[in-house]
Amino acid sequence: MLSYNFNWSVIWTEPYGGWMLQGIWTTISLGFISWCIALTLGIIIGTMRITPWKPIRFLATAYTEFFRDIPLLVQLFFWYFAAPSILPGFIERFLYRELPNFEFWVVVVGLSLYTSSRVAEQVRAGMQSIPTDQYYAALSTGFTHLQTYRYIIIPLAVRIMIPPLTTECLTVFKNTSLAMTVGVLETTFMSQQIEAYTFRGIEATTAASLAYMVITLMVVLIMGLIEKRLAVPGLITRRR
Amino acid sequence: MGAFDWTVIIKNMPFFMKGLLTTFELALVAISGGLFFGMLVGMARLSHIKLIYYPATIFVNFFRSLPLLLVIFWFYFLVPIIAGRPLGDFVSASVAFVVFEAAYFAEIVRAGIQSISKGQEQAAYSTGFTYAQTMRYIILPQAMRNMVPSLITQTVVVFQDTSLAYVIGLKEFLRSASIVDAREMKSLEIYAFIGLVYFIFCFVMSRFSKKLEAKRGAAK
Amino acid sequence: MIKIINVSKWFGTHRVLNNINEEIHQGQVVVICGPSGSGKSTLLKSLNGLEPFQEGDIVVDGVSLKDPSTNLMQLRQKMGMVFQRFELYPHLKVIDNITIAPIKVKNIPKKQAEEKAVQLLERVGIPEQAQKYPGNLSGGQQQRVAIARALAMEPEIMLFDEPTSALDPEMIKEVLDVMIDLAKSGMTMAVVTHEMGFAREVADEIIFMDEGQIIERGTDKSFFSDPKTERAKDFLSKILI
Repeated sequence: MLSYNFNWSVIWTEPYGGWMLQGIWTTISLGFISWCIALTLGIIIGTMRITPWKPIRFLATAYTEFFRDIPLLVQLFFWYFAAPSILPGFIERFLYRELPNFEFWVVVVGLSLYTSSRVAEQVRAGMQSIPTDQYYAALSTGFTHLQTYRYIIIPLAVRIMIPPLTTECLTVFKNTSLAMTVGVLETTFMSQQIEAYTFRGIEATTAASLAYMVITLMVVLIMGLIEKRLAVPGLITRRR
Repeated sequence: MGAFDWTVIIKNMPFFMKGLLTTFELALVAISGGLFFGMLVGMARLSHIKLIYYPATIFVNFFRSLPLLLVIFWFYFLVPIIAGRPLGDFVSASVAFVVFEAAYFAEIVRAGIQSISKGQEQAAYSTGFTYAQTMRYIILPQAMRNMVPSLITQTVVVFQDTSLAYVIGLKEFLRSASIVDAREMKSLEIYAFIGLVYFIFCFVMSRFSKKLEAKRGAAK
Repeated sequence: MIKIINVSKWFGTHRVLNNINEEIHQGQVVVICGPSGSGKSTLLKSLNGLEPFQEGDIVVDGVSLKDPSTNLMQLRQKMGMVFQRFELYPHLKVIDNITIAPIKVKNIPKKQAEEKAVQLLERVGIPEQAQKYPGNLSGGQQQRVAIARALAMEPEIMLFDEPTSALDPEMIKEVLDVMIDLAKSGMTMAVVTHEMGFAREVADEIIFMDEGQIIERGTDKSFFSDPKTERAKDFLSKILI
């Protein structure tokens, strides 16, 4: 059935091995920067979604719905091809021609906005999963609202949110692969470039898969360490 | 920035619609196939038999650790080799989506089954049901009802995911947009338009799922 | 000590409290009972301003809750509260659950707060659990910690919101014993509960609520032996087997 001769050496032959490493480095930095921005934005938007003020809640909900309900790839294309054309001509020219790594930063913008809406949703769900009586218990001992959040609600919510946020963090790293479509030289791009040069598609794609699995594993390990440090005996965080 | 020229959308509407149809076709295959295999794998993930449990678990964790884009490339290269002849973009994309989404559907099914209390299973066994009967008549019907919101959410995700078939040249909605864009140079109008179409569909579906969830919450 | 004057509250169009009038004096133990959804928990939570109400007023020690200049945080320090589902802070050890409010709200030195906490744990009968996390305690033990946590702020009034209804039967007594002890020491208490044994032993007044209204009130003797309204009779026949 298989009339295919494997040739794994293409993965480590120069220059292909070097390409792969460069691609992996780009994937990691792209994912890391986007995750940090997405986390910050997501916490802000998620908190806005549970404030008592209706207009703020509406804005935050509109934000999450908007970025969640359009495919990431379409968003990236929009930011890359369409958005700069709204700007004055000289800025548009600067972005495409002068700014080093324009593609990279476009993906950072697109990926962090998209991910922040998903993080916001997890933040909201985490905060709302804490029963009202828990707030009341803190308030009844004379805490102010600020103290209630500072000492009780946020420490609890963080622990509840870690597992779903781990999943989101993994998704960011996997989604960096979409950057290849706008020409960012990350892992998937490099693997397909190797394919183009050597016709060794399966080998190159397998190598890229391994790279992603290692990155995924690292994220799981790091988040697992954080979770362990914060673990409380007897407290079961229900969500997966 | 010149004036917007929306006629480009109307002019190319038939072409867009053809792309959208392909998107729907691919989504349909991905969802039905993914759900079918996902059910099997999901039940296998709960098996006490190691020979069933481990392969299913490895399958799920393997595909969940990979970007979909890579999986699409994988099967793009692999399908012609296994089949011994080229079968076209749509077939290889379909295989990739079914396999990939099966891993995600499997986790939904597993969680759904686990949400039913152990007592239900024991009650079924106590009346003499076999494993298959217990699953068929008692556990799965209840689990399905619990799963519906997650399944709809995943449907929306799959629908969005199909845009990734763009990378192997499949003429789905996004690819048709980029083809029109290359010819007409009207990026803003074109990407705003397809973004809107995706948004409307996904928004309606996710609202629907939330409604269902709220309804169930109220029923309890 | 607490005066409830014509209090009414709506959730949307649904009236959950309907013209409530009641007075709780120093040292009194008032038991509030009634079917679920009758508004008794809402009434209790409005006493320390956790649940706002639209009409009427509640006056605690001469301080009006409706007065916008009232400092609710200060008022709440005078009133300890115990919840149905304990609501201990799961990420803090038992001892820290008790000391966090005295330290952060009253600025009491940590050492002094901890000494006090140990005394309170002895009072509720579980001094050996101080270094554990709430998740590792039984329900009865958790509720006793919750009582100690409320007492740590040295309140003048204690509010109990169905403190035993989430407990397994064998644990109810250990919590009730602590509450009876507290009542006998002269604490002013408002208790939402169906534990009629507790009511018989320590209640000075029993209030029966239904559909947001106080239907009947009486001393423990008159209420149990001779309920005046049909609804109270019906209710009593269901809970006193």
